Amino acid sequence: MVTLDVRPQLLDALSALRDSVAAARFPLPLAGAPRARANRDELLAQLDDYLVPRLREPEAPLLAVVGGSTGAGKSTLVNSLVGRRVSESGVLRPTTRTPVLVCHPEDHHWFSGMRVLPDLTRVWVPHQETGDDLLAPGEDPARVLRVETADTMPRGLALLDAPDIDSLVADNRVLAAELVCAADIWVMVTTAARYADAVPWHLLRTAKEYDVTLVTVLDRVPHQVVSEVSRQYGALLTKAGLGDVPRFTVPELPESAWGSGLLPATAVASLRTWLVHLAQDPAAREHAMARTAHGMLDSLKARLPELAGAAAAQHAAALRLTNAVDGAYDTEHARVRGRLQAGAVLAGDALKRWRAFPLDCSAGELLDALVESLATLLLCSVTAADERIREAWQREPAARAPELTEREPSLESAEDRIGMAVRRWRRELEEYAEEEVRDLDRSVAPDPEVVAVLVATALLGGRRARSAGEGLGERIGAHGALRLRDRGGRLLTEHLDRVMNAERERRLAPLDALEVHPEPQAELIAALSVLQKER
Amino acid sequence: MTAVTDEDHTDRAQHAGTSEKDLPGGDRTAEGERAMSQPSYEAGVRENNRHARVEDGAPSGRTDSASAWDDGLIARRATEENAGSEHVAVVETRALTPQTAVPLTYDRPLRARLDALRELVGLSRTRLDGRTLAEAGRVLDESAARRRLSGQHTVVAIAGATGSGKSQLFNALAGVPISETGVRRPTTATPIACSWSDGAASLIERLGIPPRLRRRPLQNPETEAQLRGLVLVDLPDHDSAAVQHREQVDRVLALVDAVIWVVDPEKYADAVLHERYLRPMAGHAEVMFIVLNQTDRLPGEATHQVLDDLRRLLDEDGIALGEYGDPGATVLALSALTGDGVGELREALGQFVAERGAPARRISADLDAAAAELRPLYAARRRTGLSEEARDEFSARLADAVGASAAGEAAERAWLRNANRACGTPWLRLWRWYRDRSEPTTGRLPLRAQADEEATARQRVEQAVRTLADRASTGLPAPWAQAVREAAVRGSHGLSEALDELAVRAGLPPGRPPRPGWWPVAVLAQVSMTILQVMGGVWLLGQIIGFMAPNLGVPVLLMAAGIIGGPIVEWSCRMAARGPARRYGTDAERRLRESAAGCGRARVLDPVAAELLRYREVREQYGRVTGVGNGPR
Repeated sequence: MVTLDVRPQLLDALSALRDSVAAARFPLPLAGAPRARANRDELLAQLDDYLVPRLREPEAPLLAVVGGSTGAGKSTLVNSLVGRRVSESGVLRPTTRTPVLVCHPEDHHWFSGMRVLPDLTRVWVPHQETGDDLLAPGEDPARVLRVETADTMPRGLALLDAPDIDSLVADNRVLAAELVCAADIWVMVTTAARYADAVPWHLLRTAKEYDVTLVTVLDRVPHQVVSEVSRQYGALLTKAGLGDVPRFTVPELPESAWGSGLLPATAVASLRTWLVHLAQDPAAREHAMARTAHGMLDSLKARLPELAGAAAAQHAAALRLTNAVDGAYDTEHARVRGRLQAGAVLAGDALKRWRAFPLDCSAGELLDALVESLATLLLCSVTAADERIREAWQREPAARAPELTEREPSLESAEDRIGMAVRRWRRELEEYAEEEVRDLDRSVAPDPEVVAVLVATALLGGRRARSAGEGLGERIGAHGALRLRDRGGRLLTEHLDRVMNAERERRLAPLDALEVHPEPQAELIAALSVLQKER
Repeated sequence: MTAVTDEDHTDRAQHAGTSEKDLPGGDRTAEGERAMSQPSYEAGVRENNRHARVEDGAPSGRTDSASAWDDGLIARRATEENAGSEHVAVVETRALTPQTAVPLTYDRPLRARLDALRELVGLSRTRLDGRTLAEAGRVLDESAARRRLSGQHTVVAIAGATGSGKSQLFNALAGVPISETGVRRPTTATPIACSWSDGAASLIERLGIPPRLRRRPLQNPETEAQLRGLVLVDLPDHDSAAVQHREQVDRVLALVDAVIWVVDPEKYADAVLHERYLRPMAGHAEVMFIVLNQTDRLPGEATHQVLDDLRRLLDEDGIALGEYGDPGATVLALSALTGDGVGELREALGQFVAERGAPARRISADLDAAAAELRPLYAARRRTGLSEEARDEFSARLADAVGASAAGEAAERAWLRNANRACGTPWLRLWRWYRDRSEPTTGRLPLRAQADEEATARQRVEQAVRTLADRASTGLPAPWAQAVREAAVRGSHGLSEALDELAVRAGLPPGRPPRPGWWPVAVLAQVSMTILQVMGGVWLLGQIIGFMAPNLGVPVLLMAAGIIGGPIVEWSCRMAARGPARRYGTDAERRLRESAAGCGRARVLDPVAAELLRYREVREQYGRVTGVGNGPR
């Protein structure tokens, strides 16, 4: 016999686990991401709405959530169990849009606070009026819980009428799943026409997986076929391994249909007795509660590793994307360095100007041409890297995240940034040349601009600018020329590295902003093992 | 014909054998197994039929009708009296006409659209993968297959959730309990067909319904006349836990001409129905009936409420409702149990079938859906194509890469320099010579250097091609953008080398630039000015040393004329040289620019333009598929 009592260590372990689950993010659109996100939300809902409050206060009343497909007659069932109309029922689907919780007046304080279902706003409505009219304007009706009290309810038990689990309104579906997660007792309602539907069976299988306290109600069974349908349903349940689940049959009566909303007490007597017994017999109550709580704790063993696996997959995908960017920029960086050494800058316009220098071309013009050519070389390698990245990312499903596709850095801005960096290099080079010329003690000092342009040509022109180096030596001496070339070369490498790194960082920024780290995986597993130890 | 009859006999024998085996037990697993083994058998029958046709060239209708009444052994599961009436019917049809199934014809716009789709698929095969085109291919195949079959018949499937009363409605329409009904869920496991007139065998065969599941309705001249040409198919449910049912439904729904969706008051708002079936099939509204069954379970006024709510949901699904004579889905309320409203449905169905438009409308809706699915692959987001501006920019970038403007400028300056040197005053030339000697001679050397390798700026060419490809492919759907980019990259291979070579060829001939005709005159004038100066100087000198008679005026005048005239001649030469120098420079620039542009056009622009043209062609074809005149813009 398992029992429940307050254990602070277990609670601490659970809240640590809760935090690490809440911290797990799955922003990359991988194949398993939607499922992982849903699992995470479900897990959070179960921890927040059920497991933590239940372990903290085992004496709180049992919560039985009535769930099922649209039109299964959930509201009618709840109304009949309570003995008065607390939840509206009708012919139009979906009927129940606002979940309704019914409990004994003395249990009211358990549910009026935010102990369970903290996400839902409570509305308390005197039972003469309908709920929807009193909703505060602008409040989302789906995120509201109506709390009703009825003297006919036994103490220590609350009934919750949930929206449809297969509602057309997607929000309702999510809410229904969340509410079911908060239950001590799952009451699954199905009908004679529906008992073979796929959707409720998913829920039943989930209930089996979590080993919760489950009860099924076969509702709206026409008199003529009660025995046959009941037998069929029983066979299906047994086949699914749920043969020992308590099963109740409620016949279809004129009242059950459309409207009045109250079945005679005899029709639901057996279900009511079972529920009351569960709530009032301490042993049965303890057993029901502990079974659900421990079932959920056990299910964590399988679910957390799955979540951790998904987190690891996210990180691996992010790593692949980062590697693609790094690889592309590394390749391009190496290529641009090689081309600089080969003198690719001194080509086209710049080469023509160099050929005409100094007779038909001024130093300024040549320097302009060189700087522009250098900027084009850098821009070319940056765009080539971007193209490489685009190709590599096309093969990655993770790269389809809207954050990554939207903020594509535009070409113009890269052009601007590179132009600025290159102009700064030119200015610094000119300053170096001036310094060098100033330090020179010669009668006729050479023009610093000419010196600057010769250094630039020697640095950027590779082999074909050998004469520039010679000219430089003639003007400021071999030592000075060597020193100037060294400094200028270092400056060039520095600026080149800075430009490439800046562009790479820009490219990686949106990916970094997604914050896919390897930590969640480890944290999840660690939290799980701590929890296992505490149990 | 003999071959056919023989074949049919053996068929019958086979059926009898199998049916006897499974009749008593009604074992589900056995049934399932047989359903699995059915296709191969079916293929055999089809093969035989085709064989027969080839052999004697008999009209296909005869084989069809023959198999139509030989196939099903309808009476096996029905009651005795049904079997009797069935027999009568068989005799009747045979006496009436040897019905030939008139193949379906599509109207001209639909035919044109189908042809356009076929062509579109052919044109796109190299650019798109098979999976993307699969749906379009399926539509084409189905339309062709349907077209070969009877146009006199309309195949209508009854679909719905488990327990909604599909089989009940099926039986109510047929007038005989053909399809098994029951409380056991799910009830119907395999589709059952019921044909109101002959000649539909091949149609039913296409649905993969074996002959033993083909039935005939209760013989009633009145209803038969009303529903002539109807082939009704009862489907399994789509929402039960039995997955193979759903697969059956999906398969058959893709093949039938029209669908009757049966919903009931309990399930009409199920998410499965709306999200999985009705929303994706919203385009097929014209070939849809939506029937609210089991109204007998609702109190009187509630039926209207539920029906209105159902209409609202359908409207939210995007399904056009056929009210007030608009084309769209027909929504009815009925009770198959009490027969309430079944007459209305029968009437609507009769009218629908009599129009014989359903197959074409279904194919048309399929076509619309396939086209809508393909839309992102064909429709451009904005105006596409290569603007004149982008072409010019590309040429300009290439010209930059070969250094056209710099070359032009250098040529112009060199020309001017030469002119100045030739026509300048000798004193100025002397000074310049002196200055040059004192300065280091850097930069002069390369003028005489060999032609460079890799004179073209590679990075500029690469950038130009990339920019052009980006410009050309903006707004294009991804596969076509990729194609354009590939064409540009393919063209750019070897472009730099070609430009290198071209720069050498189109560049200026080495050596001194040519001289204009007036040059010797100018040189002569400059020389005479110098001579005047010298003469004046000598004269003056002569006077000073007393060698000559003192006459100050003339020699001073001569010398002054020479001193002033020299710079004047130089200045006017410079002015006169400007024009030719500029012309010479621009000419040099133009030659480089034009040859670079020509090279770029031939290697890159033309292939890209061709690729864009191909896209435009495909887009027009797509426009034809959607039925819009000249395609989406």
